Amino acid sequence: MSVGTVPSVENWNAEAFNDYVKQLNEPQWLVDLRQEAFESFEGKDWPTRKEEEWMRTDIRGFSLKKFDPPSFTTPVDPASLPSGLLAEGVDIGGQVISLNGKTAVSTINDELKSKGVIFGDFRTVLAEHGDLVKKYLFQGEFDPNFDKFSALHAAYFSGGAFLYVPRNVQVEQPLHVLNLIGDNGVDLAHTLIVLEEGAQATVLTESASLDDDQPGFHCGAIEVIVGDRANLRFVNLQNWGEKVWHFAQQKGCVGQDANLFWTLGALGSRLSKVNQHVALDKPGAHCEVNGVLFTEGKQHLSYHTQQYHRAHSCTSNFLYKAALQDHSRTVWRGMIKVAPGAQKTDGYQRIDNLLLTEHSRADSIPGLEIEADDVRCTHGATTGKVDEEQIFYAMARGYTRKEAMRMIVTGFFQQVFDRITLVSVREALGHAIARRVREYD
Amino acid sequence: MSDFVRVAALSDIPDPGKEVFEVDDRFVIVIHAGGQVYCLDDVCTHDDGPLGEGDLEGYEIECPRHGAKFDIRTGAPTLMPATQPTQVHEAKIEGDDIFVRIVD
Repeated sequence: MSVGTVPSVENWNAEAFNDYVKQLNEPQWLVDLRQEAFESFEGKDWPTRKEEEWMRTDIRGFSLKKFDPPSFTTPVDPASLPSGLLAEGVDIGGQVISLNGKTAVSTINDELKSKGVIFGDFRTVLAEHGDLVKKYLFQGEFDPNFDKFSALHAAYFSGGAFLYVPRNVQVEQPLHVLNLIGDNGVDLAHTLIVLEEGAQATVLTESASLDDDQPGFHCGAIEVIVGDRANLRFVNLQNWGEKVWHFAQQKGCVGQDANLFWTLGALGSRLSKVNQHVALDKPGAHCEVNGVLFTEGKQHLSYHTQQYHRAHSCTSNFLYKAALQDHSRTVWRGMIKVAPGAQKTDGYQRIDNLLLTEHSRADSIPGLEIEADDVRCTHGATTGKVDEEQIFYAMARGYTRKEAMRMIVTGFFQQVFDRITLVSVREALGHAIARRVREYD
Repeated sequence: MSDFVRVAALSDIPDPGKEVFEVDDRFVIVIHAGGQVYCLDDVCTHDDGPLGEGDLEGYEIECPRHGAKFDIRTGAPTLMPATQPTQVHEAKIEGDDIFVRIVD
């Protein structure tokens, strides 16, 4: 479709875009990248339920014109902001906190700096290490042209963080990124993580709303590039308020004999549509994803995952658990893709759904696309309700119904929790879920 | 329980006819048939299909995706592959206007 055939949204049109880009004062190569993405955004239609990708996700209630692009005129007072859940009691090596796309905190400790580690908010890193950003930005699996939302993100992204770990450097202390939305705000964070060969790091990222009752719009992306023989532990907790629209592209690629351990928590938002893809690019690459989804009210979380085996002798293991309350909905579409020649592939994907109420609904569609003939690919989905006999058994031994329910929900998630090696993450997720479990008749 | 909300003038929807509206952050189909008005979720319970885009035949509406049918008066499924009812909401005619109240 040619540019301009889709009606543009007034506060996100070409004029608004040009004003926005002027505010950012970025190098020409990045302005050109944004311009290209903006043209793609303008030329694409909004997704509809006629497309397979959006068939079960209704976004007719979303209106971009209700939101404005971030503005950088007033500074943010860091003292007024929460510190998030994942860094509680953790000795962190650096932190980036933003509110509505504006950076409030950007720190890295001197020891890591002296090792050549680069970590900070996007703007600061761009000013100091522009060549490095240019080398990696949009060079991984993230595709600005994936859909209208990804193009919007690529054109307008702001906030977020950049991490670069040089060759063979081990970063022991976790690095923390917190993106906040407040006051009908917009978050367009772009998180870019690059580990060079043999490097090692742990990154904790999370999102939250200042006020759970405030509308908001997140249109973000995560790019993870794990070099040969590198190891990354990556945590991403989505904990927006109940009126936030969440659209995200979360893409990783893994090099030879490298490991990516990715823990994903999805608790918040009004509606989420996330594409989480990991590409295993070279022999011996390994990726493990642990996903925890817990929904309530009328939440709708739609996760589309892909584990793409491009090389031989790679392993991938995706395990998701979703528990649903009230009238909430989850949609999960998982795909194991095996490229021609990617022999000796071992791919596993599974989602288990626990329906806690009569009106909740989980749609799970696991899939395989295999173009090699010496592989083991395992996929499956289960959906069930809480067993009344288990509740009765627990209550016969003195538990209240709510305690029994909480115990069953915790037990349901235990398999995923057992795979999360970071105690702070396990506890934060466990507490967040336990707090949400309600009393049922 | 929310309040009744005016969605359209009665003359806006022919008899028989239907129109999709957003009421209280929810998309619903308002149907004018046999001199009465009816309201139900714009969702086919089989596969989330856009029920409002389906054909209306008497008191039944057919989902355009897989042909499931629902009774517009009760929301009950009348033809496979749907097996669960779609939510019905209150609808009434007052003067020349149609009012709808969302039922959770």
